[in-house]
Amino acid sequence: MVDDAARVRAPEGEAPAPSSGGSWVEVATVKELARHKKKLVEVAGEPIALFYADGAVSAMYDVCIHKERSLSKGIVMGGKVICPGHQWMFDVDTGWCEEEERCQPSYPVRVDDDGVVYVEPRQRIARTADD
Amino acid sequence: MTDTVVAVGAGQVSAVLARTLRRRKFDGRIVLVGAEPHRPYQRPPLSKEYLVDGDDEDLYLLPEQWCADKDVELLLGTPVTGLDVAGRSVTLADGRTIGADAIVLATGGRARRLPDVEGDRILYLRTLDDAGRLDQLLQPGARLVVVGGGFIGSEVAAAGRARGAEVTLVEMLEQPLARVLGTQLGAVCAQVHVRGGVQLRLGQPVESIVQSGDVVRVRVGDETLEADVVVVGVGIEPNVELADAAGLKVDNGIVVDEQLRTGAPGIYAAGDVANVHHPLYGKSLRVEHFDAASKQGAVVANNILGRESTFADPYWFWSDQYDLNLQYTGHATSWDRVVLRGSLDDLAFTAFYLEDGVVRAAFAIERGDDIAAAGQLVAAQARPDPEALADVDTDLFDLLEGE
Ligand SMILES: Cc1cc2nc3c(=O)[nH]c(=O)nc-3n(C[C@H](O)[C@H](O)[C@H](O)COP(=O)(O)OP(=O)(O)OC[C@H]3O[C@@H](n4cnc5c(N)ncnc54)[C@H](O)[C@@H]3O)c2cc1C
Ligand code: FES
Repeated sequence: MVDDAARVRAPEGEAPAPSSGGSWVEVATVKELARHKKKLVEVAGEPIALFYADGAVSAMYDVCIHKERSLSKGIVMGGKVICPGHQWMFDVDTGWCEEEERCQPSYPVRVDDDGVVYVEPRQRIARTADD
Repeated sequence: MTDTVVAVGAGQVSAVLARTLRRRKFDGRIVLVGAEPHRPYQRPPLSKEYLVDGDDEDLYLLPEQWCADKDVELLLGTPVTGLDVAGRSVTLADGRTIGADAIVLATGGRARRLPDVEGDRILYLRTLDDAGRLDQLLQPGARLVVVGGGFIGSEVAAAGRARGAEVTLVEMLEQPLARVLGTQLGAVCAQVHVRGGVQLRLGQPVESIVQSGDVVRVRVGDETLEADVVVVGVGIEPNVELADAAGLKVDNGIVVDEQLRTGAPGIYAAGDVANVHHPLYGKSLRVEHFDAASKQGAVVANNILGRESTFADPYWFWSDQYDLNLQYTGHATSWDRVVLRGSLDDLAFTAFYLEDGVVRAAFAIERGDDIAAAGQLVAAQARPDPEALADVDTDLFDLLEGE
């Protein structure tokens, strides 16, 4: 399911600049994410939680698929986003929750050479752990 | 070689057991035998969203299609009546006998009943059928008396308010949840009920509960409360009879080691029914938490497959009451200091329970983001600087590294 054209996690400075004419939306800078580790943004009317972990940025739908708590109020640990509601753990790249075998929607992210973070407001949902 | 795994009880433990076995490519026979007629379901919603609005979206644990695809057999509505430890087989109420290479005793518990209390408006809440009966009686304007201010009683009180009932909560201790949280934090939970419109009767035992006609009279101190429905939530008794009759060691549950093994080869016990030796706490403990049941189900699956695995999790559970999210991690029966992080008044805080400076447990209201780190502090038996712990600007993970 992961779309090759849009890497989920964009190591700082390595990702290509957003192609013109795409629907990429500027949402943050790597610098501010590195400082605060997470940020809640709204793109095309959707609340999106940005996370910064191990030098990479990822984006997830902010509303938890379990009981609608806000993931941006959670934490990132060991490659997982942990929901503050009931501690469900979602893979930071794919949104997959191993224990529940369910997936939190994620979004493609890009970071340009200047450290500006872009999100494409197109939800991706994995159907298995390997998606 | 393991060819057949039989689980006695088709609840939380057994569902996770089956899922984990298949995920790990076990291709033998899996049979889950359940006394209840229902497909495996989870209990937490029964006192929360399912009770409030019948939301059963997340209720069932193993979808029918999944069981068919993964070849997991459910034998429902047929309790196991006999266990042959030496021959490693179980006998069902319908007379069938099933032999197995591994047997998992996951029979949970049943609601503890008050002696000499009878009536169709006096209910307990353990099963889906119990929830159905409560649902019928919990009409808007109904007078509900909840006996017992533990987690289930507290949740039923909150759900009763959400359904428009007039609710009174009776607790023998000075505060609700005091046994687990202590009086200071119990008092905060009492305020949560007051804020939610629940009447409290604290620090007095119930003298009697008598139903006559459609009215139940609950005698507390020198007062008599009249109710249309009473819910009694005074704990559970583990379903140990089968293990006991089979000669397995039983002492406050079925006694097992940290790998969930009974004394008999190939026979395991897990979940609410199991008294499990806990390496972190250095003693045997029987807890009634969803997450421990799930994790123990997975540990048993691993051990059956020869992947040696122990249960050493510090424990974690949650409760949802009104619009608030409560979480607890660790295990503290005594403490000499409570460190608060956040604000009691705003109902957004984490309380750390310390004993000789060591973090034993943490309880959070609306600060679930502290709980993962708090669990690690408990597991590490950390002795963080209390001032740093109290400071909401401290990253709790930094306190771990200081160890
Ligand atoms: C209303 C309610 C709310 C709860 N809320 C929370 C919560 O918010 N958070 C939390 O952490 N925990 C909560 N719990 C506790 C949690 O549900 C339990 O810890 C968990 O269900 C334990 O799983 P288990 O598999 O050990 O037992 P169970 O899920 O109880 O399953 C045991 C099954 O075995 C069956 N059985 C018994 N004897 C036999 C036999 N001889 N043959 C065949 N089958 C048998 C029983 O009928 C039962 O279906 C709640 C419990 C209740 C009742
Ligand atoms: S709301 Fe996210 S885990 Fe429950």
